[in-house]
Amino acid sequence: MHPFSKGSDQMSRFKSAFLCFFLLFSASESLSSCQDIVRVSEEFTEALLLRPLPDRKVLAHFHFQSTAPPSRTYGRHHHLFPKSIYQLVHKFKVREMELSFTQGSWNYERWGGYDPISNSNAKPPGVELWADFDVPQHQVEDSWKNLTHALSGLFCASINFLEQSTSYSAPQWSFQSFSGKLRYGTLPREAVCTENLTPWLKLLPCRDKAGLSSLMDRPSIYRSYYHSQRLHLRSDEFDTSKTSTGIVLEQTLTVVLQPNTFSGKISQPSWSLSSLFGRKVGGKCSLSNSSNVYVQFEQSLVSKVKELREKMESSKNEILIHEGLENNPLFELSLPPKRIIKEVENLKKDGSILYEFSVEDYDESELFDLGLSWKVPVFWSCQQAPLHISRFLLGSGNERGAIAISMKSTESNNVEKAGHDDKECWLRVGIFQVVPWYVKVYYHTLEVFLDGESQHTVDNVEKIHVSPSEDKVSPGVMEIILRLPCSVSTAALTLEFDKGFLHIDEYPPDANQGFDIPSAVVRFNNFLTNISFDDNSVKRVPILSKLEENIPVLSYTEVLLVPLTTPDFSMPYNVITITCTVFALYFGSLLNALRRRVGEEERLLRDKAAKKMGPLMLMLSKLSAKLRRKQWEPPKPSSSQKSVINYKLILKVLLVAGIAFAWQYYFQ
Amino acid sequence: MDANNSPSPPATADISEAPLTSASERQREEPDFDEETMRKTRPGLKRFTLTLTVLLSFLLGLPFFLKSVEIYRSPLPFREIDDLSAAVESNPLHFPCQFQAVFVDFGVPSFTANELSMSIESHMQNLAAKDSTFCGACSNNSTVSVTLESGSDCLYSNNDLQWKCGGLNELNKFEGSGKYDDELFDYYLKSLLADNGSRGHGGKVYTVIVVRKEEMEEVRAVVGKYRHAWIMGRVSEEAAVKKVAEIFVKVFVNGGKEEGCISGEFMPVGADGRIVLSFNLLNADPRDWTYDWEFQEIDDNLLAPIIDALKPLADVRVESQVLYHTPKSSFSYWDDTLGSYIFTRNDLPFFVNSNEWHLDTSVAAGGRSKILHFVVYVPSATECPLLLQLPNGAISKTNGFISPMWGSVVVWNPSACLKDTEMEPHVRHKISPEDLKKIFEVFLGQLRQLFGLKSKGLLGDASGTLRLLTSEAGFTEWELDVLSRQHTCFNLLQCATTLGSLSRLVQSLPRMIIKDEIGKQVKYSLESAKLALSNVSGGVYDASAVSSRQARSFAEDAFYHPSMMSVSYYSFEHCFAVYSPFFLPVSLHVLLAALRERKRYKQESRKYNAWKAKTM
Repeated sequence: MHPFSKGSDQMSRFKSAFLCFFLLFSASESLSSCQDIVRVSEEFTEALLLRPLPDRKVLAHFHFQSTAPPSRTYGRHHHLFPKSIYQLVHKFKVREMELSFTQGSWNYERWGGYDPISNSNAKPPGVELWADFDVPQHQVEDSWKNLTHALSGLFCASINFLEQSTSYSAPQWSFQSFSGKLRYGTLPREAVCTENLTPWLKLLPCRDKAGLSSLMDRPSIYRSYYHSQRLHLRSDEFDTSKTSTGIVLEQTLTVVLQPNTFSGKISQPSWSLSSLFGRKVGGKCSLSNSSNVYVQFEQSLVSKVKELREKMESSKNEILIHEGLENNPLFELSLPPKRIIKEVENLKKDGSILYEFSVEDYDESELFDLGLSWKVPVFWSCQQAPLHISRFLLGSGNERGAIAISMKSTESNNVEKAGHDDKECWLRVGIFQVVPWYVKVYYHTLEVFLDGESQHTVDNVEKIHVSPSEDKVSPGVMEIILRLPCSVSTAALTLEFDKGFLHIDEYPPDANQGFDIPSAVVRFNNFLTNISFDDNSVKRVPILSKLEENIPVLSYTEVLLVPLTTPDFSMPYNVITITCTVFALYFGSLLNALRRRVGEEERLLRDKAAKKMGPLMLMLSKLSAKLRRKQWEPPKPSSSQKSVINYKLILKVLLVAGIAFAWQYYFQ
Repeated sequence: MDANNSPSPPATADISEAPLTSASERQREEPDFDEETMRKTRPGLKRFTLTLTVLLSFLLGLPFFLKSVEIYRSPLPFREIDDLSAAVESNPLHFPCQFQAVFVDFGVPSFTANELSMSIESHMQNLAAKDSTFCGACSNNSTVSVTLESGSDCLYSNNDLQWKCGGLNELNKFEGSGKYDDELFDYYLKSLLADNGSRGHGGKVYTVIVVRKEEMEEVRAVVGKYRHAWIMGRVSEEAAVKKVAEIFVKVFVNGGKEEGCISGEFMPVGADGRIVLSFNLLNADPRDWTYDWEFQEIDDNLLAPIIDALKPLADVRVESQVLYHTPKSSFSYWDDTLGSYIFTRNDLPFFVNSNEWHLDTSVAAGGRSKILHFVVYVPSATECPLLLQLPNGAISKTNGFISPMWGSVVVWNPSACLKDTEMEPHVRHKISPEDLKKIFEVFLGQLRQLFGLKSKGLLGDASGTLRLLTSEAGFTEWELDVLSRQHTCFNLLQCATTLGSLSRLVQSLPRMIIKDEIGKQVKYSLESAKLALSNVSGGVYDASAVSSRQARSFAEDAFYHPSMMSVSYYSFEHCFAVYSPFFLPVSLHVLLAALRERKRYKQESRKYNAWKAKTM
């Protein structure tokens, strides 16, 4: 479940419980479904959802869920649930936690921004961690720090960098936890690789030895355009109420793959599991309660199919009675589905369709390999979030700049659906932005532009909370809810900032690369998304019940790269050396001045020079004396002395250079 | 300036070409005055003193400078550390122990109690000398008090331990009723001795009771669960004395160890005094079958008493997990005669598959707790039944093995593989409670072995066998005494070696920063070590165990302090590189100036002297 939807989730759970209670009296058959909700033992389920994407790619979404009953009734020894997670929950008293490792960024335009999968699985690049604790307020910081260290050890990642108070923040109301015990932190530059996936797989009872996870061929996964591995856990172990469900651990891996089949440029590529992952499934993980593969076709694609079919019908002039797979004009699945689950959208429109395949009947001798082939070229588009968000930097130079968040209307029909509350149609956009302290944002410079025109900030900001950064202590956090008219086509938000200076110790390795500003989270208030099915049995399948949950629509912006002035890291030594040299010079000359017998030397030189001085020089010196309005003295020997010295000096320098050259020449 | 009014030519090198004209002029004035070699005025000391002052002030400033660039090193008590390690390593710790022997029904005594006591002591010393003295033994000069009981009167030796006379009279009733039982008798003796021993010794007196029974054919020697043993049967006094000494030394002092046991160097207790027992059930291949266990019940029924018993020694925690798809990494072969797959002792190093068996270190353990892994391995259908063959060709009864300081493995063959029946693969079976009980008995034996104790209940020796009663909690009281003595001793040894290496490290890196915290920890560690030593000599076992543990943990804290781990010590090269650009040129200037001035002053004063000599 996503943090932004706590309330709604509880609502739906309450609803289902109520429904169950109601049904208990009405029919005896519903008894079984009721018992499903009151879990008595540990459970593990696995599922894989595949969805063709409009840009010739395929989305694969692995979903694993482990549940442990509350330890008050069940005890602390488990058979399926990972021990380390259980210990983690109990040691740090975690109420809810989500950790994601992501490589690549989700393409909201092409891969969709409105469906539940993209909203709960599109994550910012790098590591994102948030956790809600069930400890007294003063222990939250300690718990967070310890948790980051434990996770860092568990997942072989540098999550422990989130321990510093400059790297995490405590959101006030952007996350719907009002307890104030939630902490949020991201590491945008964390590289994600197999060493993070392996410990993640270790939490599954079958790891990648059997079941759907055996598809996770490392090269194919890491070749993908986007991959995000996520771990979400929710526990009500510490609630005193009797209806606790224990710990629910949800692990998902979302990858966007390009099928490497050679098809024409126009048509969608046909693919199969073996061509996507290079492997086939040899039966289910024997410990999982259900092991299903789903192929999802989006609503717009489904309507395309319908259109096409109608066209064919009209041309052939015959009426097909049932809508089966066999007569599908658009695509063909290599295996017959176990069942077809349809989304119940509102009245008139068709929803998306899920084809369910069960892996349970397959084993090593008969491998499961699902394929999809397209019959005709087809184009469709994904459901879009109301606004397309992008964030970029303005300005140049190493001194100051500005952050701009631009919102472009996608003109999707969802706006009307959710925005109409009163006579006026408003679009409420919540932005949560964390900025590191060395990017000093001036929050008073917040400017809002609607359709290219600057607006009064007060008119468009419904709610704002800013906690300015404190140097070397805490990052700056801005939470804001914008109120935009529904008709707006573009909106923008700018904030100016100064770039700060870091102490030489604080620069990370490779500081010249620049510094990352973590992704902003943009949430569309009042927009909730889910896929509801007409079939009641889907509640038993966690992945489907997950899809049925109401999830807020949100998107993450890009990570910004801010170049800061990086010092020459050998600077301290240079400074020391030059200061010391200056001091040495000063001492030397002072000592010389004290020690030298100036009068004596001058007298001697005068004697010597008087004879050598030519008439021209004499005249010149007289002239200069006149100019300076001084009494003419016999010229100081310094000039001639200097020339002699210069001559000698040049000779010496030349000699040294010669030696150096010879040295260079012969010894290298 | 003095140089100005002095007519002498300069002596400096670069203006050495003396002005000839002026010299010749002056020579005209004074014909025998040589400008080159003499002067009329006394040379001035001003510049010389000036340069000397600068040089001296530099030299005086040097200590201040060195003080200012000095890095902070908390003073460590190196002497005391050396003393401690010398004290601990040179002579192993010996605990004072109290022994008591009671001879019952020996008729007319041919020896007095004191003589018997002396002879037992000498036997004990002989035996102890034979055994290599190990850490945590009783001191050689422990006294043995002897009581001779015959009929109703008792003869005591000169020690203050008193045996309640006639206490064993009821024993005959036991025997008469035919209900004699070692366990019952043991318990009866305990209550008897508890009355006795309550007088100021804390009950830590080791007692052997020798009962002479003419009607019994064989001699029966039993060591109880508490701190006593008894010998019954037709024994002569000499044999009894020998036997008593043997029981004292081999059982009560050495813990009944035999050759071939793990040497006591290993004590699987973490530096923080914690042990985590991690129980793992490994299903090699769940596609064949999956087994599960009711660990909660085992935890409550079987493990709780053990944890309770070990409480004085360590804080024990239990955790469990079930893992799947965990094949072993060694090979086994099919043996037709045995009808099973066989793995031998040579395969054991490769049995534990560290790639696939993720027996994770516990998150909850943290710190420096010791984790002992106990693994139940359920083989897959392709290698079932799997048996361990001992080097002598026999099949191991326990079908398991231990790895010191790591834990143990037990192979459990499911009954299904013997029956050769097709099993429903996706059903999770439960290991039956009887089987589980057996497995955990093996684990208990292995745990005892990991602690360096015997896993069998019999002890063979020169004169027959001794029966050792086993406790339900796994560890008898006298065994725990032995372990606690050993634990104290090893802790102190460990503490001394850790502190020793710390002091060596610190001394070898003279420019390493040492924080005050480390100094404090070393101080505390030394203090607790001293306290432990004094407690040992006072015979206070529990207190000495606690303070020795503290000493060790402080020593390790100091050694593994994060500031010690970092390599950010301030090297001499660094210091040189930073300060040489200043000091090199300046010192060169100052030194050269001082030298030159000295040279000049000497030269000039020679000239002056020459002139003076001439004019005189």
